[in-house]
Amino acid sequence: MSMVLILFVILLIRLYSLQYTHYDENLQRSENNRIRKVVLVAERGYIYDRNGVVLVRNRPSYQIALQAMSLPRAKADRDSVMNRLLRIRDKDGTRLFDSLSLDTAFQRSRWIKNRPIGFFEDASPEQVAIIEEHSSELPGVVTLIESRREYPYGTLASHLLGYTSEISEEQLKLPEYEGYSQGDRIGQKGLEQGYDQEFRGKNGIKLVEVNASGRELGLVKGVDAQPPVPGLHLISTIDLKLQKVAEEAIPDTARGALVAVDPRNGEILAMVSSPRLDPNIFSLKKRERNKGWAQVALDSLRPLTNRAISGTYTPASVFKLITAGAGLENGILSESKYYPKPCTGGYQYGARYQKCWGTHGNLNVVHAIRLSCDVFFYQAGLDIDMARINEFGRRFGLGEKPLGVDIPGEKGGWLVDSTSFNERNKRLGWRWARGLILNLAIGQGELVTPLQQAVMVGSLATNKGVYRPHLMKELRDDAGNVVRRYEPEIIRPGKMKPETHRVLMAAMDSVVNHPGGTGKRGAVPGIRVGAKTGSGEWKKGAKTHAWYAAVAPLDDPQIAVAVIMEAAGGGGAVSGPIARKVLMAYFGKEDEVK
Amino acid sequence: MSSGRFLDKSLKFDWVFLLTTFALMACGIALVYSATANEEVVFYESFWFKQIIYFIGGCVLAGGIVFLKIDWIKRMTAPFYILSLILLCVVLFFAGDVVKGAGRWIDFGFFKLQPSEFAKIAYLLTISYWLSRHPVSLFKIKTFVVPFFLFIVPFALVLKQPDLSTALVFIAVTYVAFFFAGFTLVDMFLITSPVLSVLFSHSQTMVYQVLWGLLICAVVFALVRRHLPKAQTIFFLATNILAGYASSMAWNMLEPHQQKRVNTFLDPMSDPLGDGYQVLQSLTAIGSGGLTGKGFGNGTQTNLAFLPEEHTDFIFSVLGEQFGFVGCFLILVLYALFLWRATSTCKLYSDPFITLIVMGSSTIFLFHILVNIAMTIGLMPVTGLPLPFLSYGGSFAMTCMVLVGAIICMRYQGRRQ
Repeated sequence: MSMVLILFVILLIRLYSLQYTHYDENLQRSENNRIRKVVLVAERGYIYDRNGVVLVRNRPSYQIALQAMSLPRAKADRDSVMNRLLRIRDKDGTRLFDSLSLDTAFQRSRWIKNRPIGFFEDASPEQVAIIEEHSSELPGVVTLIESRREYPYGTLASHLLGYTSEISEEQLKLPEYEGYSQGDRIGQKGLEQGYDQEFRGKNGIKLVEVNASGRELGLVKGVDAQPPVPGLHLISTIDLKLQKVAEEAIPDTARGALVAVDPRNGEILAMVSSPRLDPNIFSLKKRERNKGWAQVALDSLRPLTNRAISGTYTPASVFKLITAGAGLENGILSESKYYPKPCTGGYQYGARYQKCWGTHGNLNVVHAIRLSCDVFFYQAGLDIDMARINEFGRRFGLGEKPLGVDIPGEKGGWLVDSTSFNERNKRLGWRWARGLILNLAIGQGELVTPLQQAVMVGSLATNKGVYRPHLMKELRDDAGNVVRRYEPEIIRPGKMKPETHRVLMAAMDSVVNHPGGTGKRGAVPGIRVGAKTGSGEWKKGAKTHAWYAAVAPLDDPQIAVAVIMEAAGGGGAVSGPIARKVLMAYFGKEDEVK
Repeated sequence: MSSGRFLDKSLKFDWVFLLTTFALMACGIALVYSATANEEVVFYESFWFKQIIYFIGGCVLAGGIVFLKIDWIKRMTAPFYILSLILLCVVLFFAGDVVKGAGRWIDFGFFKLQPSEFAKIAYLLTISYWLSRHPVSLFKIKTFVVPFFLFIVPFALVLKQPDLSTALVFIAVTYVAFFFAGFTLVDMFLITSPVLSVLFSHSQTMVYQVLWGLLICAVVFALVRRHLPKAQTIFFLATNILAGYASSMAWNMLEPHQQKRVNTFLDPMSDPLGDGYQVLQSLTAIGSGGLTGKGFGNGTQTNLAFLPEEHTDFIFSVLGEQFGFVGCFLILVLYALFLWRATSTCKLYSDPFITLIVMGSSTIFLFHILVNIAMTIGLMPVTGLPLPFLSYGGSFAMTCMVLVGAIICMRYQGRRQ
């Protein structure tokens, strides 16, 4: 018992020192100055192009908010604060704040005590000045500074950059968003989402004393602030010059996509999806943001979709490269192989007459690719069989498995064989028939993404393996030190016999550089460009999807470009010139573009 | 404690004890009310009303326990102990209701059971029963082995939850039980010394080195006085020295951030942005109460939600702010009175089991009181131990009332030596 008394006396001595000796200090602290925990939000990392030009940065933004703990406690006093706010008008005489959002904020202030409740976003400096001037009459009303994303080039590369917005309820429940809290702004889509963790950095905390109206008086003595750690900056693989040329080549009214890849390491040099959206709308005030959002979300052209990675199209005649490659690789085709039936404008298969787009006569494989003759490939396809064709396609990145690009939303394609065909069309009651090979051999029926198409032609040309396409080159910290580099990674074998390679390259060369080639409009003076055109049929009577997949220079491939323009016409005529502009820009010949 | 007119040694019903308990409960309800009154809910969903229900339930429970036969309690000790272990396993492996990342409750629908509270009582019964039947001696290894196993299983299960503060209660109970089972103060010192060695030698600073040197001297002195056999003498010396060196080595092996975590646990104010934030707010609240306090319901700190968990772990800050030094003093007087009346007759019983139960129950109360108040005034780490009778919480209120019932029961049925 005496032990207990001694311990109690120790407690009492401490209480005495707190409540008597340090009474004034503590009372002042509790009455006039209150201690508050303030989160120091870490600056979000920037995004640069491969040459160090800023593509995404931050701008300061002012928010007007209620600090519940500093609001008057009596209801009448709170109402008078609200009425004073409602009386504030700008130069034109219109009310600055609308009563609905004010009322909601005041309602919420009754139970949200620990953080400010914003009711006016993105205030102009004049509006902030008005609030600051009247701060004594507006207890509990504070202005907060935060940073918002800014995209200086507007719609440029909008799909691959992504945007930021407040975390949604559904996202909060996902395991990958553990540690996030309500109200956090997070990256959505594109690089902003793919590297959100890296961009975020780590928030800091400071303890400040605030006065009765909620204004900060300074740090609490003896307690150092924990500074925020800014997020990492991302150096992307995008080449701004190339991206600009590509964006200008595809009009915003058109639906289409373009991907330019370096086949030697998988770096994506440019990626366009049209129509575009301006990610800046997500940094605007709520009202304007909602308006912009409604516009893009309801648009029938689907500007939110990144067609370059999640648009799946039939590969059309570009796929003939794969059919030819499979034939050469398996010894079924060769340069000296001619089929008994020359192209007379069509091919009789059983009871069906399959047309060709022209009359090409007797051809070997190189001529057939140059002229994109269907009849040759009908016969070749029947000879080679789908299993071999699909195997060859998978080697070079086609197929159902996405390539694993480092931004979310990538889709895989589809290489058709009898089992997968029956399974997919079970509901429709369609069954596999050998006659389907005719269509599949010329690329009508499979699905690919523009990214897959670019990676495919690129790796066909290098013959050194398929590298994982990626957009991140380096991550750097605030001081400029490289924290992480993207290591090129081979994801598919991407190899064929040298003879196969030689014949395919000769064929791709003649598509562009032979006077009769279908892709001659993609030629670049002084550079050996190889390409394949394609015109994808998707709806009877409608214009075809225009494909153009090019790689250059053929002797030492450095860039592969795939272009698709939806419902625009023939591949060589529509998409060829677009690819050409990009290639001209890449080889420094943009001045020669007519 | 000297005898006097006030001290009733007849081992009959103690009205002072009961009234003190009721007074503390009334204070508790008032404080929970003032800490949570401005939350706008209907009264039957409010914290203070639920607290009244818990106390009424607790009184009924305590009333029932008073009429239990001591022999029956002794017989039920082993089943209780095993049941508590099963419940601890259940909460750990199956039915943990995850609140704040720690699964501590089993939800029965109409109420939530906290098995660690149940385990406190079961362990108290078990260790008391064992020690009352097996005289303790430093010379016998058996004295330590069985209690060690009785102790380590529930201790480890609770620690795994993780609920460090409740696990510490088990240590306190064991410690006091050994003392009242017959160990002398010197024995207790020798048993404790390795732990002190670990504490004093983790840091290589001058002060700690000197402290550790003094400790070793004291151990040697105690061993000389105690005339222990050679084996034990060497054992205690070796353990102390080994513990000292192991501790400094282990400490140096910790990563700096782990060292920092231990340091901030021991001294929350060294991390004012984390745990220290609560303590700082609590100190401000208590300090601003002054001598007489701001008056009932006028606490600015607590009412403005500066203080987290003000109605549970930090209820003492509410008291300090609204009733000042005088209020705190009176509550401490009530606690002292309560503990004094509970333990006043403990040396008079013929059955050591009764002594152990009474002292163990009082220890649980004392430990909670000291650790909780010391935490709110910044003298001890922030652990989540509630304050008996004052903090809001159903399970703990039940535990308190069961212990009160047990104390009354023992006193009522116990025989004089």
